[in-house]
Amino acid sequence: MFDIYIWFYTGVALTILGSLGTALGPGVKDPITRTLNTEVAAVGVSLIFLTYNHTIGLLTFIAATAIITMILLRAIVRLEEVGAEL
Amino acid sequence: MSASVLVPGVVSPVVVSLFVPAIFTGLIVGIIGLMAIAYQKNDLNALILTDIVGVGMLILVAAVGTDLAEAIILPGLVVELAEILAISEILMSREMKKKGKNAELIPLPLSMDMEIMTTAPTFLALILIVHGAFLSGFTGGAVAGGGILFYVLSKRMRGVPANTWEGIAGVSGIAWCLWLVGFLVFFVFPQYWLLALFLAAFGIFIKVAFKAGLIGVIGREEFSKK
Repeated sequence: MFDIYIWFYTGVALTILGSLGTALGPGVKDPITRTLNTEVAAVGVSLIFLTYNHTIGLLTFIAATAIITMILLRAIVRLEEVGAEL
Repeated sequence: MSASVLVPGVVSPVVVSLFVPAIFTGLIVGIIGLMAIAYQKNDLNALILTDIVGVGMLILVAAVGTDLAEAIILPGLVVELAEILAISEILMSREMKKKGKNAELIPLPLSMDMEIMTTAPTFLALILIVHGAFLSGFTGGAVAGGGILFYVLSKRMRGVPANTWEGIAGVSGIAWCLWLVGFLVFFVFPQYWLLALFLAAFGIFIKVAFKAGLIGVIGREEFSKK
């Protein structure tokens, strides 16, 4: 019914595309764009965890990704308020 | 595949067939992240790219596909989180020293003084904590901790009850000891395995749930500065 390979290879494709997008995608000079691009890779890793039935790992990963995004956005906004060149 | 000699028979064939593609994915993602860091001039952008390297590391660990992999993913995530938090703090304090200016501690552009923040928290936190206690273990701790954290964050506007949090941090430490005792009983007195199971399950439940208490302590110290 559910073909495991579809989930796995979708996850692989999303992870590689997301990391390429973070590394050299369009507009990544802006740190906010770069941070949002990491989310694509995070969704890919979530799919891979789902294939392997890593339930607790998936739960913690989703929470940790949300917190990491919040930390990075806070760092970006504070650095911009201080007036550092980004 | 020649590596299949090393694989025990209990590992499912699906996991074995996914092993090589998963390892290569992890390596490719890690190399992309490291190359991008190497060509990066800006510190903040390099910090964001370490997130991608962490993702590659997680895939490499997950490729093992057993309970061991899951047990190693959790500390990996926590270490990555702590590392990014620490480095971002260092970057911010360095820039602030350089420019001689100070920015707001939590730059929140909207006022969170909504009606739901005063009426709902007690009820929602109670439901989450009861549900978490029923689940027990790590998952239950996470659910109950989410309830406590929600309560703290929404009460922040009206002032967090200050000296409660030190007590909660102490209880968290005692619960950690319960978990350790439960673990020890498993090995020393295997006939009391049920007692050991419950000690470990509720020890880790209280421990994980009251981690939120530590956030409350930090919050109190930071907010009393203002």
